[in-house]
Amino acid sequence: MPPPNNARRAGGVTGVPAVPGVFSPTANILTKLVLYTLLAALITLAGGAWFFPNTTYATRVGIAQPQPVPFSHEHHVGGLGLDCRYCHTSVEVSATAGLPPTHTCMTCHSQIWTNAELLAPVRQSLATGTPIRWNRVNALPDYVFFNHSIHVAKGVACTTCHGPVDAMPLTWKGASLRMSWCLDCHRDPAPNLRPKEAVFDMDWKPTAATPSGEQLMASYHIHPETLSDCSVCHR
Amino acid sequence: MTARKELAERIEGKLAGRSGRSLWRSLDELAREPAVLEMLHAEFPGLPDLAEARVGRRRLLELMGASFALAGLTGCGPGEAAEEATPYVTMPPGLVPGVARHVATAVSRGGYADGVLVVQQMGRPVQLEGNPDHPASLGALDPIIQAGILDLYDPDRSRTVLKAGRAASTNGMLKALVDRLPALAADGGGGLRLLTGTVTSPTLARQVAALKRRFPAMQWHRWEADGRDALRAGALLAFGRPVDTVLHLDRAKTILAIESDFLDGAPGHLHYARDFARRRRAAGEGRPEEMSRLYAIESSPTLAGARADHRFAARPDEIEATVRALAAELGAGPAAWRQDAPGWLAAVARDLSASRGAALVHAGPAQPPAVHALVHAINDALGAPGRTVTYIEPVEADPVDHGDSLKGLVDDMAAGRVDTLLILGANPVFTAPADLDFARALAKVPLSVHLGTAPDETAMLCTWHVPEAHELERWSDLRAFDGTVTIQQPQTRPLWGGWSPHELLAVLDGETRPDGHAIVRATWMERFQGKGDADRLWDDALRLGIVPDSAAAPLSASLLPALSDRLPPPPASTGGGTLTALFRPDPWLRDGRYANLGWLQELPRPFTTLTWDNALLIAPATAERLGLKNEDVVELRSAAGTLRAPVWRLAGHAPDCVTLPFGFGRKVVGRVGHDVGFDAFRLRRLDQLWQLPGVELRKTGETHRLAATQHHQMIDSPDVVRHATLDAFRRDPGFAKRKEPEHSLYPPYEYPRNAWGMAISLDACIGCNACTAACQGENNIAVVGKEEVLRNRQMHWIRIDTWYEGEAAAPDQTLFQPMTCMHCENAPCEVVCPVAATMHDADGLNVMVYNRCVGTRFCSNNCPYKVRRFNYFNYSADDNRLPMSWNPDVSVRARGVMEKCTYCVQRIRNARIAADRENRPIRDGEVKTACQQACPAEAIVFGDLNDPDSAVSRRKASPLDYGVLTDLNTRPRTTYQARLRNPNPEIREV
Repeated sequence: MPPPNNARRAGGVTGVPAVPGVFSPTANILTKLVLYTLLAALITLAGGAWFFPNTTYATRVGIAQPQPVPFSHEHHVGGLGLDCRYCHTSVEVSATAGLPPTHTCMTCHSQIWTNAELLAPVRQSLATGTPIRWNRVNALPDYVFFNHSIHVAKGVACTTCHGPVDAMPLTWKGASLRMSWCLDCHRDPAPNLRPKEAVFDMDWKPTAATPSGEQLMASYHIHPETLSDCSVCHR
Repeated sequence: MTARKELAERIEGKLAGRSGRSLWRSLDELAREPAVLEMLHAEFPGLPDLAEARVGRRRLLELMGASFALAGLTGCGPGEAAEEATPYVTMPPGLVPGVARHVATAVSRGGYADGVLVVQQMGRPVQLEGNPDHPASLGALDPIIQAGILDLYDPDRSRTVLKAGRAASTNGMLKALVDRLPALAADGGGGLRLLTGTVTSPTLARQVAALKRRFPAMQWHRWEADGRDALRAGALLAFGRPVDTVLHLDRAKTILAIESDFLDGAPGHLHYARDFARRRRAAGEGRPEEMSRLYAIESSPTLAGARADHRFAARPDEIEATVRALAAELGAGPAAWRQDAPGWLAAVARDLSASRGAALVHAGPAQPPAVHALVHAINDALGAPGRTVTYIEPVEADPVDHGDSLKGLVDDMAAGRVDTLLILGANPVFTAPADLDFARALAKVPLSVHLGTAPDETAMLCTWHVPEAHELERWSDLRAFDGTVTIQQPQTRPLWGGWSPHELLAVLDGETRPDGHAIVRATWMERFQGKGDADRLWDDALRLGIVPDSAAAPLSASLLPALSDRLPPPPASTGGGTLTALFRPDPWLRDGRYANLGWLQELPRPFTTLTWDNALLIAPATAERLGLKNEDVVELRSAAGTLRAPVWRLAGHAPDCVTLPFGFGRKVVGRVGHDVGFDAFRLRRLDQLWQLPGVELRKTGETHRLAATQHHQMIDSPDVVRHATLDAFRRDPGFAKRKEPEHSLYPPYEYPRNAWGMAISLDACIGCNACTAACQGENNIAVVGKEEVLRNRQMHWIRIDTWYEGEAAAPDQTLFQPMTCMHCENAPCEVVCPVAATMHDADGLNVMVYNRCVGTRFCSNNCPYKVRRFNYFNYSADDNRLPMSWNPDVSVRARGVMEKCTYCVQRIRNARIAADRENRPIRDGEVKTACQQACPAEAIVFGDLNDPDSAVSRRKASPLDYGVLTDLNTRPRTTYQARLRNPNPEIREV
């Protein structure tokens, strides 16, 4: 039990031996340890906050989404060779590419796999007039106004953003869709451009005869200096 | 305090320096009220009120610390919430997801059609635009029609059948109605009555005619509280038959408007406004000889009066005496009428005679039948018929006098002669003249069925209430002011399963499962018979939004002789002692049917700038005599009863009378309009529909705060509106120009592609507020409510500043100036934003990036035009409106975010994408801003300043073009064209 404060002070004044140490010698080490741990935690947190959004866990890139009907792009696009526009009909004229109505599925599936268990929800949808509720794979925040038609018209291929769709048994997100990712291309579109006829091509590779990105940019009248304006995507 | 005093002195000095005339925005500003001058300098005058919240320093620091600490948590949201994507089962033909479709139909206003194009996104109506092919719209729309979209999605709409005010089944209602049919058939339908508003629908007329064959003794009554009985009666007096008058303002050189509503509310007013404005703009466009001259005489200010070159305020009795004198002056009446004519009348008469064949006189619906009959006689004397006016068969089906018709019904109801009453879309319990006591008579009707879109006063007192399908949800047809027919087609399935009036009438006719589409189609299949392929004609009519060539043919109506003998005697002069109350519709709520629409409640009324309230309007001199100030509550006593109302002094109001705007004070209405304002209908009597003489005002000592916006966002300079007479303009065409600073510290921007700009012609603007309403709909602008308006926080991106010049009693001029973001080249807002949330873009737009904004409000504080609006609360999220009613092309803003005019960047972007897809430049006129599109007067032009041939560049090349506050070197992109006036040199200035 240390003496009360006033007693200690009184002792000091009257020349009584020096005050015993308040802190033990280990206190310094402990304090430093706590401070350094806090600092490390802070750095880890900040770093985590910086890197976390780029992880696939956050962006969902490459993570297949479960769907009410396990629709396989791999089979329909890669295997059967269906064109993207067969189902995503409005991609060339509208902001949204469009999801196929049940009717589109049934153009074929009224003829083939008519009794497949997997397709029961599709048949039911047509019979009851209730839409199939798909889980959205690519979602943008409400304050972003993306337009498919202009990208397709200017030589940005489906696979450039959506990844190798023809290899996806269940669809996953092909890119993070973060603003920095958008801006990478809006600031320097040349590397991501293709000739118009190759936009819907799944496994297109540039050849020696392919015009360069710069040439394509000129022919498409793309002016990157205007593409990073806020008003391009935010209204 | 000294700084403020200095400022005040500076302003006084500014005003004093202006050659004896000064411009002012309100009577308080004219009187240099210190409180108003304070408003002039504060960007956020609402803020000091927050001190009332009594948050102590410690508490504030606690809250700030907590919000700082918790702010980070908002970043730890659920991330991308799992979202579903729901495609169609079968895609409707022609639909492209994400691409707007425009579908033609019409919306009624007082029974008359205004053609609209409904903007549909994925099959859901999101906005109304004018139909350029429709004669009553010509592509423009007024605020009321625009608010139709809000009405459609109003969550307070009727959703279920009510029996005596309680939810009941549709089958019960049908059974009750069908069970009555045998008894009705037995006595020829003697007890069957139908009550509607003004009906122009050919199908409804056909149905009633069919019903009358089945029940010969049934009667069809009409009541429109804001109706045009006086015009009908006037035509009967003059021609012995009812006719409708169509005006041709494009051919009118000299116009006299007698409290006329040709700019604000008459059927066809949008068409008239366009014709009128084109001739007013002519001088600025180099054709001064075409400029028209407008005289106005009125008691209660109208938009036409505000645009008049000479405006005379007069009591109603003085107006009638003046019209009689004018008739005598022009040889259309006995010379005895000439006595007591005001001094200016001879000059006006000479001017009208001088433009014989190009002269036009028009009177508004509140004028008595005698004035209308005299107007016909005067027009005849001026050679107007066939030139500036044409007469057509009445557009209203089976026209009757609404007052007589309603009285007949109420008498029969009270006498027990009515056993089945159908009320279709009317609310007589609220709107009928009080002396009829409609509610008491209604209680004696054993079976009354009310059809209405919302449960209202009448719905609650009827045996049954049936939800009515909104005009955008049903099949019907309507006629416009000139007789043109539009077939209304549904834009969506009825949201709450409503019935159309045609369907309900068909039940009476014995149909058990009526189909509105079949009923309307049957009318037109019959009418298209023998005109070609009827199916194709039907499809064409739907596609175009009009039935081609359906406008009424002009007819020649000849004046009956001895008009002067048949006129009712003129009213006795009320003199200066007593007061007369004038009943006028609220410009937006009309007879109260639009009371639940927040857009309309919060849209400032012309002149008063009042929102969320009506007020007793009174001339400043009369108010002074009675010792009344704004917001004083007075008790109005009259033979018809008493009423308590707040006072609003209105410059230019006639002395010795007060205006009582009706349409407010609804008791049974949705959440928005409940108990807003006072109910002037309570004093209205059948024989005194528009004026009530002999009223007294007594001060109660109480006050009622009125949310007027006249002192909000005031610019600290009267030089922002510029105007001159036509003669002065001829002498000095550059009068509107000022020396502008040439140098700037900022480097100039380059705009290689487009440089968007806007021109607003004060010469054309009629102050109708259509632009404000259009902007609100297009840009998802929130409604904030009265409390917040009082704090200066209304969110409108474009406002109409009203300026007066001259004396308070009779301002020489009323000027309207639409004020919105100027998109400055050297924008003061951009340089102060700490987070670059407001930026210059490559086309010169001053863009606002909502998701960057942190709400410092520095930009707003630095904006000399005071056009930035801040979301102090989560206005949008707190609104009851259905989520699907917002425009999907525009972000809905959240709390803490600044917003302002974007030049409708969403429309620019869509046009840019469409043009880029086709590798072509954007064509002139391809981008229209919402305000430009809605403007009936073509006052607003938008386009590319880089293109010297664009409409906006040509407008800006006018010598009248000037920028506002250019001395600050802001270099605004939006410029104005000064107002020109064309006064008669024979009439001396007051």
